[in-house]
Amino acid sequence: MAISYLRRAYSSFAAHVFDIPPRLMAVLFFLILLLLPTCGLSSYYMWILIYANIIAIFALSWDLLVGRTGLISLGHALFFGIGGYSTALLFRHYGLPLWITIPVAVLLGALAGMIIGFPCLRVKGPYLALVTMAFPLIVSNIIKWSPLNPVFKGEIGIRASPFFPFLPIRQQRIAEYYLTLLLLFISAVIIYKIANSKTGIVFISILDDEVAAKACGINVTKYKIMSFIISSMFASLAGSIQAHFLKNANPSMFSLTLSFVPIIVTFLGGIGSIYGAIVGTYIYYILDKYVLIYLLPVLLRNFNLALPRGFEHAKLIIFTSIVLIFIIRWPRGIARYVTDKLQDLEEARDLDERGPRIWKRYKKKEKS
Amino acid sequence: MHLLEVDNLTKRFGGLTAVNNVSFHVDEGEIVGIIGPNGAGKTTLFNLISGFIKPDSGIVKFKGEDITGLSPHKIVNKGIARTFQVVRPFRHLPVIANVMVALKSPRGTKNIEWLKTMERKAADILEDVGLSEVMLEPAENVSHGDLKRLEIAKALATEPDLLLLDEPFGGLNPLEVNYLTKSIIRMHLDEPTRGILIVEHKLHALMKIVKRVIVLHQGEKIAEGTPEEIAKNQKVIEVYMGKAI
Repeated sequence: MAISYLRRAYSSFAAHVFDIPPRLMAVLFFLILLLLPTCGLSSYYMWILIYANIIAIFALSWDLLVGRTGLISLGHALFFGIGGYSTALLFRHYGLPLWITIPVAVLLGALAGMIIGFPCLRVKGPYLALVTMAFPLIVSNIIKWSPLNPVFKGEIGIRASPFFPFLPIRQQRIAEYYLTLLLLFISAVIIYKIANSKTGIVFISILDDEVAAKACGINVTKYKIMSFIISSMFASLAGSIQAHFLKNANPSMFSLTLSFVPIIVTFLGGIGSIYGAIVGTYIYYILDKYVLIYLLPVLLRNFNLALPRGFEHAKLIIFTSIVLIFIIRWPRGIARYVTDKLQDLEEARDLDERGPRIWKRYKKKEKS
Repeated sequence: MHLLEVDNLTKRFGGLTAVNNVSFHVDEGEIVGIIGPNGAGKTTLFNLISGFIKPDSGIVKFKGEDITGLSPHKIVNKGIARTFQVVRPFRHLPVIANVMVALKSPRGTKNIEWLKTMERKAADILEDVGLSEVMLEPAENVSHGDLKRLEIAKALATEPDLLLLDEPFGGLNPLEVNYLTKSIIRMHLDEPTRGILIVEHKLHALMKIVKRVIVLHQGEKIAEGTPEEIAKNQKVIEVYMGKAI
């Protein structure tokens, strides 16, 4: 009785929520993000949110490469690290301000994408994944190599300039939050536009069937390199922002864990959907830094329990199992699940969200 | 000068000679059929012409230019488009976007008339092959017969001078075969200078369209001639029916 009532209440609630058009949903999401700092969050939570913004850019870039073009990269941290290190080196050796270091880091990231892209595209599928995984390991070992310590400072890393050194710490966090949010917004719009352009269609065609794309007269290598370059540019931007934010670039920027973060978050949000990467990143960081570090210990304390020591190291296990569950149960991700509901309700929007929006425009033209 | 000229083309896969010393030509505006039992090397021959496989020896000339060993996308942009025996749609894309991929190739883009959008051109092509109703459906929801026609639409989008159709009637019911036969003839009338090369098993439908037939058997060309000549050819009958006891 009660269950059926609850179910009915839920379905009417769902009907209302899922009736909101996706564009409005996106606007609402960004509005919430805009208003978050006004809630009087502590410096630590601001730190989490800023970090989530940065990683969202990184995850977006991974999603364009893997979710849209089908080039599996397990070493995306390479571009992140290149962005971070080039920023820090430019600051340390030439004392350049951040409005020069960030664009230069992005350009260097694009160059790295091109250089890495050419040899990588000789191999396909799982082999490509393995080859890309090797590169950040090689680079991080070069950086840790002792003869190069005067340049790279080994494990300690290089200092970089903070974003707003002239502000008090609390205002600094808020300013950094808005800056990273703005950069995230710009990157999201650019990547979304690219993914839904005619070039984006070609990217999806390569993901679907490379041989057929060749038979359509598409220079597949050119488009793959293009995808690699765009992706590495944004990954490098994220790395560069992180170096400024943490005031440091160190070898952990090339770590395997960081390469896996975009995989985890895009599978949470929905691979190949662009917006899924952003939603997934926020879910991941709230789970990672809030639920597991703060909420869970507090809950356990009520039952006179404590988390075992070294729990931080077990977190990756938890997240990979979450991803596993998602791959099996909801392979299209959380954000996709919501949009699928939207589409079920509105028949006009019953087309695959993964595809570009051009046919919708066409539909509108036909009606008029 | 012939539109397509194939000279002594040979391809071996290990010990198996899939295509053995095959020579033939296609002229402008000609429809040529290639027939042969399973494993005769018909599809390999197509892959050799369209650049998906590199030949061991022999030359493929297109409009007098040597195109042997060029990569597939370059050959498409020279003006040879092909379809696949097993349909290869881009499943995540709607049908119209499938055609737009081909229009995004250099040759496809070049052939769009001034002041005409890519969407419009793609819609026109789909209308020509009779797919305007399913234009906005994702390709994975479309029936097999429609996907066969989509293959042809994708090939036509690059406005090829030579069209290679690999078993266009495969898996179609008699009604669809009839429709496709008519549309191939119409395609030929619309663009009379375009050469068409068809590989097919359904001889009945094929013989209605083509003017010349090439018969392959175990990688070798065993006969060439008009459909009537081929139907009477003793060697061809032996290959298809077996020898008289």
